[in-house]
Amino acid sequence: MPTDPSPESPRPESPKPQAPLPAGSVPPPPTGAPRRRAFLRGALSAGVTGVVAGAAGGYAYRATRPAPAGQTALENAEAGVLPPVPFHGKYQAGILPAPQRQTAVISFNATADGRGELVDLFQTITARARFLTAGGTPPPVGIGGPPSDSGVLGPTVVPDGLTVTVGVGSTLFDERYGLASQLPAKLTPMRPFPNDNLDPAQCGGDLVIQLSAGNADTVMHALRDIARHTRGGMQASWRIDGFCSPPRPSGTVPRNMLGFMDGIANPDVSAPAQMDSLVWVQPNTAGEPAWTAGGSYFVVRLIRMLVEFWDRVDVTEQENMIGRRRATGCPLDANSIDATPDYALDPTGDVIPLTAHIRLANPRTPQSADSRILRRAYNYDRGLDQAGDLDIGLVFTCFQQDVKRQFEAVQTRLIDEPLVDYISPFGGGYFLALPGVVDRTDYLGRALLA
Amino acid sequence: MITGIRGLAGASALRVGFTGAEQERETGSWAAATNRSRQAPGGHAVMANSGLPAGERWVRMGPGRFRPGRGLLILAMPGLPFDSSLVGSDVRRAALTAVLALTAGVLAACGGSGTPANQVSVSNGGCGVGWHLAGPGWHTFQVYNGAAEGGEVDLIDPADGAIYAEVTGLGPGTTSPMSLDVGSGSYAFRCLFDDYDPMTGPTVVVGGHVRGAPAILPVTSNDLLAPASQYHAYAAAGLSTLVGQTAALAADVRGGNLSVARGAWLTAHLTYERLGAAYDSFGNFDDEIDGRPDGLAGGVNSPKWTGFYRLEYGLWHGQSGPELARVADTLAADVRALRTSWPSTEINLLDIGLRTHEILENALEFQLTGHDDYGSGSTLATTQANVAGTLELLTILRPLLASRYAGLPAVYTWLDRLQALLNQNKRPNGQWLAVSDLSQSARQQIDATCSQALEELAPIAAITEPRIT
Repeated sequence: MPTDPSPESPRPESPKPQAPLPAGSVPPPPTGAPRRRAFLRGALSAGVTGVVAGAAGGYAYRATRPAPAGQTALENAEAGVLPPVPFHGKYQAGILPAPQRQTAVISFNATADGRGELVDLFQTITARARFLTAGGTPPPVGIGGPPSDSGVLGPTVVPDGLTVTVGVGSTLFDERYGLASQLPAKLTPMRPFPNDNLDPAQCGGDLVIQLSAGNADTVMHALRDIARHTRGGMQASWRIDGFCSPPRPSGTVPRNMLGFMDGIANPDVSAPAQMDSLVWVQPNTAGEPAWTAGGSYFVVRLIRMLVEFWDRVDVTEQENMIGRRRATGCPLDANSIDATPDYALDPTGDVIPLTAHIRLANPRTPQSADSRILRRAYNYDRGLDQAGDLDIGLVFTCFQQDVKRQFEAVQTRLIDEPLVDYISPFGGGYFLALPGVVDRTDYLGRALLA
Repeated sequence: MITGIRGLAGASALRVGFTGAEQERETGSWAAATNRSRQAPGGHAVMANSGLPAGERWVRMGPGRFRPGRGLLILAMPGLPFDSSLVGSDVRRAALTAVLALTAGVLAACGGSGTPANQVSVSNGGCGVGWHLAGPGWHTFQVYNGAAEGGEVDLIDPADGAIYAEVTGLGPGTTSPMSLDVGSGSYAFRCLFDDYDPMTGPTVVVGGHVRGAPAILPVTSNDLLAPASQYHAYAAAGLSTLVGQTAALAADVRGGNLSVARGAWLTAHLTYERLGAAYDSFGNFDDEIDGRPDGLAGGVNSPKWTGFYRLEYGLWHGQSGPELARVADTLAADVRALRTSWPSTEINLLDIGLRTHEILENALEFQLTGHDDYGSGSTLATTQANVAGTLELLTILRPLLASRYAGLPAVYTWLDRLQALLNQNKRPNGQWLAVSDLSQSARQQIDATCSQALEELAPIAAITEPRIT
């Protein structure tokens, strides 16, 4: 699952919004009874809203309360005016929320000259993220220079649900900034797996920034703003834009470019205990530098999908490769999308083949439970390849507590799965998403750099 | 771009001239500022402000407002007997009037309806009469032009005329927002309406010790005359050097001494690039001397492609013989023609500030990407020459910038860093590396440093834009 496009990742449970929602953020119960899961996906399909805002503040989903009725969030999403996702919190705000409609992942190398400038860089990124996620009017400059803002979002910057998630790669801990002793225990360059086709120019990076929002203009505005304020401090190396589809024909799970629902199973982001055991680096973890507590290992994999080839495969073979029905998302052994496949009853893979993606990725055994990841997948579209075929696929991202115990374990189980003929991982990297920014005096990476 | 207008009483009285950057860049870079027709060196007409009969190209406006779009104003140039009349009030009326060109219809479409609470009304009978400030902090005024004329409205410190904020090209009956961060100090609106003397309205004092956005003393065209003169002399000296260098280069090519010619080519090309000819400051000569094949049918094989890059392509792609000799001779001849015409060439005053970032904008776009590497792998050397040209402009403008631009030290910091990085990335024998031969980290360091230098340079164009006080 990590590296591949299909779904066996835990489907996100709905984070229940905590007390007061930001003004204007009315999570939409899409249709019918607001099951928790439906509720979340409704928010997702709307592009993320107050639900996420609640999640962002630091996942205290203690207070469950019914969502107000109405389509306001959907309307907000369509109007491009989603409410702000609170920036400050123990954890970065963009990690737990369900995927937003638009995202961009940009890898940078630090060009700051020395530790002092590196601190400036992280403080500047923090300040820009704080402003962009809250929205507001950019300062006037009088006759003193060009406008301080690109104007892409109009004279007043709207938050539009923007989240800014910042991670650091292992190369930041080389000799340049004196950070070698602070290298996170599990942070390495992304290792190649047997069926990968990695392009070094699209791998790795000292920093990664993921920008997600309700609309592409919001994402692009944020990227231009951050880049403009950090020109001398870091230089972009690679970038990919992604989008998340609405669930079709209904329900809660979006489809990827293989036509299958993606992300049906995920740990429950509203359950702090699960997040503490699967997503967040815990304080006093053996071998981990203290500053990593509250961070999360962030894996990005850019995966081309060879869709022309895939489309020439009959649906039974497709479903056997994935292990689910294409139309409904149901496991092949069940009539409900939510059902847990019962592999014990099917030890020889007569129903769900032993090599099916969902079976390899998540064998549903006690031994595999702690290798689960928080999967966040987006579709990408980069035009055409040189043979005229579509260059489209998946921006696979996932968050976890331990990249070796989780992503790499899952990916290792998936080596040589039948699906590998139809996908081609070509880029990405391993990062540690930094701990959150707790207040206005804090900044991203403070515990690392101070 | 529409730039000139007069008689705003009615649409039939409009006189609109088109100049502006876009048009100007198409037609050559020296827009004629006066209604005298001008002949560009080499016979290239530089009638940038076409569209009107010569006599009406620049309309008279009283103490007019000079607010050109990019590329409007021109200046009399040294080298010629200096025509002092060009900098006096005549020029103000004629050359510097520009602007405010916009049809009433266009402007009206931008005006809102209703009267906002923070409206400041200006007209030729009063400039913000009765306006007030509640206190320090961010304010946005809606400046409404109740006059029958177009105009410009500045918010100034009445003590010295320094400008906090400005609204330009404010048409009759239209409203435009003006935002600023108000601190402790004195504030007054100043109105510059066509056909009227400048007016300054009542002063509002904000007490206390709150720091707001600083006001900046406007730079006038008179302030820019000496810098323009210095820049002209700098270019003249460079062109004289270049004439000798391109003549020697042509001789090497004719004589078949191609390895010598490759060295001579680099020397001469860097001399040219140090002149800061970005954005066609040499008009059509720049296309002939330093043009790219991109817009030509046939690309690098086009017979219309001439100049340094054409010669580079030949020298580094095994060409020789009479054909290449013709290219070299043409280059030398074009350089000679440019030098001959230079003394009578005008420099657009506006360009001096613009070039401070435009030279390196071009370097980032064409040199650091490797686009302009036609074989020699010397785009880093070109970038370094462009930095030198930028530093020359800064030296010339420094007296104006020192008190106006707090970011000036940062400009030097980043340009110095860029120079150092460029010098570090050479082969052990001192030869330049092509950008494609750089390590990723070296290339990113250079690109990042150039980009940061550009951010620091960008405000200079706005600050040194010539304004009427």
